[in-house]
Amino acid sequence: MNAAPSPLATIRATALGYAPRVLQGRGWVLAGLVILPVGLSILIFTIVRMQGGDASSAEAVKVFHEVLVKMMLPIMALVAAPAGIREDLEQRTLPLLLTRPAPAWALPLGKGLPWFLWGSAWLALGVLGLQILGGDPGLLPVRILALVGAWWGELALMTLVGLVFKRGTLWGALYFFLWEPLVRIFPPSLQRLTFTHHIESLAGSRAAEVQSSQLLAQEQVTTHPALAFLALLAIGALCWALAGWKLQRTPIGLAGSEAEG
Amino acid sequence: MLSLDRASLRYGPILGLSPTSFELPGGGGITGLLGPNGAGKSSLLQLVSGLLPPSGGAVRVFGEAPFRNPAVLARVGLVPEGDRLPTGLRADRWLRMMGELSGLSGEGLKAAMARALQTVGMADRSHLTFARMSKGMRQRMRLSQALLHEPELLILDEPFNGLDPEARLTLMALLRDLAEKGTRILVSSHILGEIAQLTDRILLLFRGRLLAEGTVTEIRQLLDRHPVELRLTGEAQVLARWAVEQPELAALRMEEEAVVLSVRSPRDFLPRLQQAAAEGAIPLRALDPLDLNLDAVFQYLTKDHA
Repeated sequence: MNAAPSPLATIRATALGYAPRVLQGRGWVLAGLVILPVGLSILIFTIVRMQGGDASSAEAVKVFHEVLVKMMLPIMALVAAPAGIREDLEQRTLPLLLTRPAPAWALPLGKGLPWFLWGSAWLALGVLGLQILGGDPGLLPVRILALVGAWWGELALMTLVGLVFKRGTLWGALYFFLWEPLVRIFPPSLQRLTFTHHIESLAGSRAAEVQSSQLLAQEQVTTHPALAFLALLAIGALCWALAGWKLQRTPIGLAGSEAEG
Repeated sequence: MLSLDRASLRYGPILGLSPTSFELPGGGGITGLLGPNGAGKSSLLQLVSGLLPPSGGAVRVFGEAPFRNPAVLARVGLVPEGDRLPTGLRADRWLRMMGELSGLSGEGLKAAMARALQTVGMADRSHLTFARMSKGMRQRMRLSQALLHEPELLILDEPFNGLDPEARLTLMALLRDLAEKGTRILVSSHILGEIAQLTDRILLLFRGRLLAEGTVTEIRQLLDRHPVELRLTGEAQVLARWAVEQPELAALRMEEEAVVLSVRSPRDFLPRLQQAAAEGAIPLRALDPLDLNLDAVFQYLTKDHA
């Protein structure tokens, strides 16, 4: 009889086993979500410059905060998470994994890891592209850290939501596009419950851009950058752990449904 | 090796398996789990393979509860129903992953993969993606992942569904071979003929209840008590005159150019009918079994047990 694999061996085996999935359609959609807006911005920036127009270097800040952080990062999480352990649940291939002696709680992270690494690579490339728009070289490492940290947390959150709720993508979209934008009018304690707060604490604040017309805008709080990065990592780790715990304790049968037992 | 002690399974308000008790001895051999669709076969197999915990009673496999129990799962192989496999993966890479998740590594894993692929006849086609495989090939790959770690208990849920006759025979031969080498096999089906070709022992399930347990011969005798309806097309009057003289006849109904017989022990009746038709004693043009399906048999047995 073989010994059951360790959690690390389980994560490694699952990540390597499912790694080719990122090179298929969904993986390229993920890459496009980063590269297309950045590429388009670079193209417009270059054309305006060639025509002698005034292309401000503040464009990089705008693309980073308004496009990558607010739009593309959540969409990436909404696209990638269903290809994680949720995919096995829906395709009814999960029983094949759950009847192996490997620890079930390690499977969500193992399946999510290739998507995290793939997305991280493209996000880093996207931030590098922003340098062409005149991005501050001093902010380059923290911007990459902020995006990668937030990607880790958001992907883990969506994996957890996908295991807890049948309509996980809907709940995730509501969180990202209804809750997160409220950060400007949240009191300080609630601001810390958004990814936006931690990203801005790490990669530069946009408080100055709050318009006077935003009557409900609250004073923006900041967290120390190191703490903000640790918070993103911790949120991700907590969500992966909860997703693993959910899978470990939930009876999931051949129909993908739960029994009472 | 395997025991159920009043084990039951509920899906919310629906009872998937009534309290059921039985035991499977250790050592090789094939046990068939027979029942119509919805009888509770998959529920029972999910309890035994550790996918679901029982809602009541106890399930013991190798002396332990199997749900999320690595010590048990390392000795069990499951081939679930259907031909679903992860999309977009190459079969050999997926098999490697399944081997690693079974605790295999290095040379041991390589040897196990080669052996499992050889056993299911997929050694030269394992480089294909699942999308490029036929249903039969996918079924073989599903079997190979269950054999990879050489399980002592192999569980197969409706493994013959969708297979062509040749693939069916190949799989049967393979299962018989594994059983001879010491693997205990639990295989479910809703077709008596399939199970009868395979097993030395049958568990009969109906509507979540274990109805009967015994050898193929014992189950056959039980089923023979059930009157089977046959429609004989030809000259109805002559056919009816011949039929009433047969001891197995339970009831008779006349139709236009046909007669519908209700017959007990069809295994005794049918050869005599065939012989009479061949000798020209009866003008038989066609023979149609009307209720030879298991559902009808099970309904009869249920009434019998009520």
